[in-house]
Amino acid sequence: MTGSRAPVFASDLAALISARDAELVDIPVIQPADQFLDMAGEDLRRRIFLTENENGQSLCLRPEFTIPVCRNHIELNAATPKRYAYLGEVFRQRREGGNEFFQAGIEDLGDANRARADARSVADAIASIRLVAPNAELETLLGDQAIFEAVLAALGLPRGWQKKLARAFGNPGQLKSLLADLSSNQNNGSLPERLAVLVAKGDEAGLAAELEQDMQAAGISPGAGRSPHEIARRLIEKANLASVKLPAQAFAALETFLAIRVPVQTAATHLRTFARANEFDLGPALDQFEARVVAIREAGIGQENIVYDAAFGRPLDYYTGLVYETRALNNLDLGAIVGGGRYDRLLTMLGAVDSIPGVGFSIWLDRLEKIAGGAQ
Amino acid sequence: MTITLALPSKGRLKEQALEVLQKAGLTVILPKDQRNYRAQVDGDSKIDILFLSASEIARELGYGSVDLGVTGEDLIRETLSAADERVQIEARLGFGHADVVVAVPEVWHDVSTMADLDDVAAEFRQRHGRRLRIATKYWRLTQQFFSTMHGIQVYRIVESLGATEGAPASGSADIIVDITSTGSTLQANHLKVLEDGVILKSEACLISSRKNADPAAVAALAQRIKDALGSR
Repeated sequence: MTGSRAPVFASDLAALISARDAELVDIPVIQPADQFLDMAGEDLRRRIFLTENENGQSLCLRPEFTIPVCRNHIELNAATPKRYAYLGEVFRQRREGGNEFFQAGIEDLGDANRARADARSVADAIASIRLVAPNAELETLLGDQAIFEAVLAALGLPRGWQKKLARAFGNPGQLKSLLADLSSNQNNGSLPERLAVLVAKGDEAGLAAELEQDMQAAGISPGAGRSPHEIARRLIEKANLASVKLPAQAFAALETFLAIRVPVQTAATHLRTFARANEFDLGPALDQFEARVVAIREAGIGQENIVYDAAFGRPLDYYTGLVYETRALNNLDLGAIVGGGRYDRLLTMLGAVDSIPGVGFSIWLDRLEKIAGGAQ
Repeated sequence: MTITLALPSKGRLKEQALEVLQKAGLTVILPKDQRNYRAQVDGDSKIDILFLSASEIARELGYGSVDLGVTGEDLIRETLSAADERVQIEARLGFGHADVVVAVPEVWHDVSTMADLDDVAAEFRQRHGRRLRIATKYWRLTQQFFSTMHGIQVYRIVESLGATEGAPASGSADIIVDITSTGSTLQANHLKVLEDGVILKSEACLISSRKNADPAAVAALAQRIKDALGSR
């Protein structure tokens, strides 16, 4: 097992990120575990170091910084816009590599100019890598959840399908099987006759009343979890969806879209051509994308190898727009050196009263150290 | 060198495991004192019998501190990460049948598949201010089935150590992942199994540790038991 030693460039890197108008923060190593499991899902459970305190509260060793940095911001009730920098150890159970390693990054909270904040985040991330590995051949992959959602809306798909497909963004296998499912029939299984009649009539209130009685008979409190109304509405929605089929043309347009992989500098033009060819209106999502491309040029990283990949995304519900990762072309097996993205939903989910937009990135310093050694 | 064979320490599983050994010509001389957890095989000093709880057997097989054991496949897959790298299933023994299943309240008439559950889980937080809760003692199997197989990320596991099927009614969870053999307990609690909600069809198995001390002897003993099963 590799020990926990800060890489030699740690203090230089900390100086660089904090010089970029970001306050260097200290985050305790021991954290409540619930916030991570709630946000990132139970999948994380086997990859973090969990323990309990005397009262049975789940605690863990800090597995990442973004969530505690945002929580810290909310608890301090700090004013926005505000930028935070961090550099420290994180702890994860990994099958390869050590369980303790360093991460550094910047979280940029509350900047209303999203295009500029996005571009700045990418520029900060690339500058951090360049500090240590100036000559490394990098490729930054950039995706956009908002563009994908705009394409789904433009396809004229029912809301339920749009939401389902949007969730599978960035997971090609799941997306494929969903598309296959959506082209076939769905049904409500074997519904008792008394309910089937109400579903056919679209009588939500009547259906909910029946379901509420069923719940009480089963000893389930109608107020504790899913309500009778929620179930009734979804039953009717499902019955309506069963008659809709994904037209072959829409399917083809979606396939064409997902195959788009072009330099970011020309990506907006590419998307406009795609939209025109299919008579889609991608609306504000495309305007925002275009503004981001301009901001990237203005941030001085226009000459970097940044590729827009229409299928690139992260299937977590707090990501809302930009996602990106930077890899070293000579060390692709290392995976991402940096991962970043926009998480406009995260702070509200963590308990912020007002909606606070956010964008940030994390650098894997153990991977950065490896490409630094290889590139010099 | 002796081989350690671990058997369930009580109940039907213990009796049925002893019957299987008997068929293979291995008569276990039970200790006179019921509190003693070690035993010998009549006329064979090279086999040590150890009585342990079924979940301990799974864990000890993983460590390699017992060479062979009889326990449920559900416990093997739940207790050990990368189970197939650490142990090998030598034979399915034909008893102790139980399915690990995903069950939801019967009144959720709109949820009949995992795809339905995916929709419900995704919107749960927005509607109820918390994630969908699953009561189970099988957190590893649940997590693999939901996250890896069905791409469902957003839910929380509520560890339940007994009477899992009562969790939806008591309000401590929304749905459950549990074992069922006849389905009658689920039915009594107004729960239904999803159409594609069978995570594992489990039964008692003869299992060897890949870290065992004497591969040739372990293989020979496993073969002897397998032959006996085949001839019944």
